[in-house]
Amino acid sequence: MVFRSVSNEKDLRLCVVMVGLPARGKSFISQKIIRYLSWLSIPSKCFNIGTYRRDLGITEPNFQFFSFTNEENFQLRERAMKLAFDDILKWFNDENGVVAVLDATNSTNERRKWIKKHCEQNNIHPMFLESYCNDNDLISSNVVDIASTSPDYEKVTLEQAKVDFWKRIDEYKEVYRSLSLEMDQDISFVKLINVSDEIIINKIQTYLESRIVFYVMNIRIKPKCIWLSRHGESIYNLEQKIGGDSDLSERGFQYAKKLKGIVKENAGNVELSVWTSTLKRTRQTAQHLPYKKKLQWKALDELDAGVCDGMTYEEIEEIYPDDFKARDDDKYEYRYRGGESYRDVVIRLEPVIMELEGQENVLIITHQAVLRCIYAYFMNVPQEESPWMSIPLHTLIKLEPRAYGTKVTRIKANIPAVSTYKDKGTSHVGERLETGSGAHSLLTGTPEIKK
Amino acid sequence: MSSLLSDEDELFNGFGSETLKTGNHMARRVKRWNEISLQPKNSTDFVARDAIHEANFDDKDYVSPGQLYTTESGRLFHAGKILVALVGLPATSKTLVSVAISRYTKWLGVRTKLFHISEYRKNDTDIPDDYLSAEPQSNEGKIYKNQLVDKVINDMVFFFQETKGQIAIYDSLNIRKDDRRKVQEMFDRWGVTVIFIESILKDIDLINKSIENAIDSSDYKNWDKQEALTNYKKRLALNESLYETMTEAENTSFIKYINFGQQIIVNNNHSGYLINKIVFFLMNLRDKKGRVYLGRCGTSASDKYFDDELLNEEGVRYSRVLTDTVLNRIKNIRKKQFIKVKNENIDIDEEFDPNSLIVWTGPRKRTYDTGLFFLEEGIEVRQRNQLRQLHPGAVGDLSEEEVQKAYPCEYKQSLIDQYHYRFPRAESYHDLAVRMEPLLLELEHMDKDVLIIAHESTLRILYGYLMACTVIDVPKLQFTRNEIVELSFGPFCNTIEKIPLNI
Repeated sequence: MVFRSVSNEKDLRLCVVMVGLPARGKSFISQKIIRYLSWLSIPSKCFNIGTYRRDLGITEPNFQFFSFTNEENFQLRERAMKLAFDDILKWFNDENGVVAVLDATNSTNERRKWIKKHCEQNNIHPMFLESYCNDNDLISSNVVDIASTSPDYEKVTLEQAKVDFWKRIDEYKEVYRSLSLEMDQDISFVKLINVSDEIIINKIQTYLESRIVFYVMNIRIKPKCIWLSRHGESIYNLEQKIGGDSDLSERGFQYAKKLKGIVKENAGNVELSVWTSTLKRTRQTAQHLPYKKKLQWKALDELDAGVCDGMTYEEIEEIYPDDFKARDDDKYEYRYRGGESYRDVVIRLEPVIMELEGQENVLIITHQAVLRCIYAYFMNVPQEESPWMSIPLHTLIKLEPRAYGTKVTRIKANIPAVSTYKDKGTSHVGERLETGSGAHSLLTGTPEIKK
Repeated sequence: MSSLLSDEDELFNGFGSETLKTGNHMARRVKRWNEISLQPKNSTDFVARDAIHEANFDDKDYVSPGQLYTTESGRLFHAGKILVALVGLPATSKTLVSVAISRYTKWLGVRTKLFHISEYRKNDTDIPDDYLSAEPQSNEGKIYKNQLVDKVINDMVFFFQETKGQIAIYDSLNIRKDDRRKVQEMFDRWGVTVIFIESILKDIDLINKSIENAIDSSDYKNWDKQEALTNYKKRLALNESLYETMTEAENTSFIKYINFGQQIIVNNNHSGYLINKIVFFLMNLRDKKGRVYLGRCGTSASDKYFDDELLNEEGVRYSRVLTDTVLNRIKNIRKKQFIKVKNENIDIDEEFDPNSLIVWTGPRKRTYDTGLFFLEEGIEVRQRNQLRQLHPGAVGDLSEEEVQKAYPCEYKQSLIDQYHYRFPRAESYHDLAVRMEPLLLELEHMDKDVLIIAHESTLRILYGYLMACTVIDVPKLQFTRNEIVELSFGPFCNTIEKIPLNI
């Protein structure tokens, strides 16, 4: 895989080593980094030490297991660490990995020294990423989240789980040493204090590291919802034309009217920010929404079809047969003449994604290709699949990003609309019902949490 | 509007209740970029001068090389207006940092303007003696300082209000809390986000280098070097006792940039994408220890795009001359530096450290092979994928006449906006620039000399970034096999020199 947006310095192998007490959002940040880098086509993988500990048979430990004075258990946890590290090495060597994230507390100096030494011996650059937090509200909400979702607590009540987890944190506090400019000046590290109140960056050496730190700087850990919708059915949708800047169709306007109620019903009284593209059909779709904050983003404009703007697929196939085929062969990379590719859209979406990470509740009304890219980012959909996903008209999508994945809910407006889905190898527009066509169907698939 | 049709009617009537039209009757009128109406500058002059201080975006159609799209408002990313105010003692490279940030944000298309206070006093003749202190004691000194600051602030306000400006960079001492509060309050009122960047140098080598830069600056034009140094040290001493470093208590957003980015502390920053992007840039900005050399690759038998040929005899000869010329040049510079610092002679061939130079080449065989003689000298030669040349697509290996004949319409189009135009299946210069961004940022932290051997198209992008060229200039830049371009980083602007290759 060639990555065009991020540097591939020779042999660069980076291990992002998480640091921090339990319930500081480490897993959340780890998952986010992986998702972001994958979206940019950088091979990356997360290694969670809890998984390795569970593999060693410690599946439902109580807080005492994490006591640092219990030598036997301590050795077990060290073993889990080594297993994780072996896997990291294997992944770098066998699969040409570029960024590994080691998701563990790594709370002591000794542990970090061990990791640094072994990374360097294996030609891996370690970058430590600490999430330091003393904001009790934030910690409490993380504790609830973990107590209710962690496999460690499958067999106990939420109350019991919470009590135990607080005690587990206390065990770690006994030995935890935070990173500091005075003590750790020789290592590359980033320390996030209360997510982003203060950020300390030490000895960042490569473009790739700076890219990851930049991304992390934009993340807020607070729970939020993101609402997505395509614009209502447009005149060009009816005419089976791509691109353009047409008005909504009659049914499109119906959707715009109905959208207000659907959003209200599902989002309650939350004040949303509404982001649209600069094209008419998205602004018309947003026109009845009662929210004060509405932004038009040029970055959300539909993939530019260049000379094919305003043509039907049949016309494109007839006039530009080579282009038509080339696009089907590699839809992610194909650039319309004078227009854009999916990759180009991903690059220009950077500011939108970063702002989105920093916001709480946003409703985005945009276009098919752009939504595919945004959806792929949140759902970790591979590049080969994302341009073929079906995202139907007149459907509101609710995304709830969580520590281990994003929950999706789809709410249909029950207003009929044409399908604008085009399958591979045909210029015919419309949903194909049989599966296996490569389409990641949002229309017929079941909602899922991607692990 | 007629009432909604049922699904069945819909199916029966084909697509819907509305009359279908043919043709692109509701076309997308707003393109990703404004049409360019900038006029090319005098072609002999653009190669030589760094345009970083030129406000070429006064033109409403301004679009810059790395810009992803243009907007109606002229501002990008819904990031509002931002004032970046430098903070720090003299000799902390504030000017260098301001210029570097501006080079990057301008390249991204953000309308950025530099306000160096030193430029404002440049032409004043009777400057009160105590002005150079952050806190002048005499009446004249106070009045002069206030006048100067007011003038800069007025200009910055004008920049934001009247010229669609998005980032103003205020390069001044700002070491007193009161000065900073004044700036903060002033711009709060204008709805401008203020971010302070405090440059702190603790490393003595970095401080000395910074002093050296300062006495070479316009402040000390026509001064005797020794006198300038004395004066500058006095200025430094004057301010050290007045220095109030930034703390959380000030309740402002600030970035501490310590020892040229070895450490960065970001405080109270909730302002989003664009400021984070500046921090991102600062993570890549280091004290650069070398120069950049740009050279073409040697010739091959047919010089075609589509086959990846080896060098021909002439190409090998070229590589030899290129290697010797670059090495000679670098060794001479080192020698001069050594003599200047140590005041004794040196056998540079003996002392030359091969690790102080690296060669980056494009991924093609003849490009890499052009660097091979450097390998013999123990110098690292690295192929960089980002230096892959502009993909010419359908017009690859066609002469201009042939293109004109085979693609008359495309050819005409390409002349209107050479930078953004893309031939069928090809890349545009813009596409190339976007994929080369990581490399540009890597250049911002080079700690050695770098020779880049690459195709002319990629050299244009590199040069365009380093010399702040417009999208009109970039495709017109010329790199020949008769010379290499040497680029030196300066604190105020970059400079170039052309070194002839005697072939």
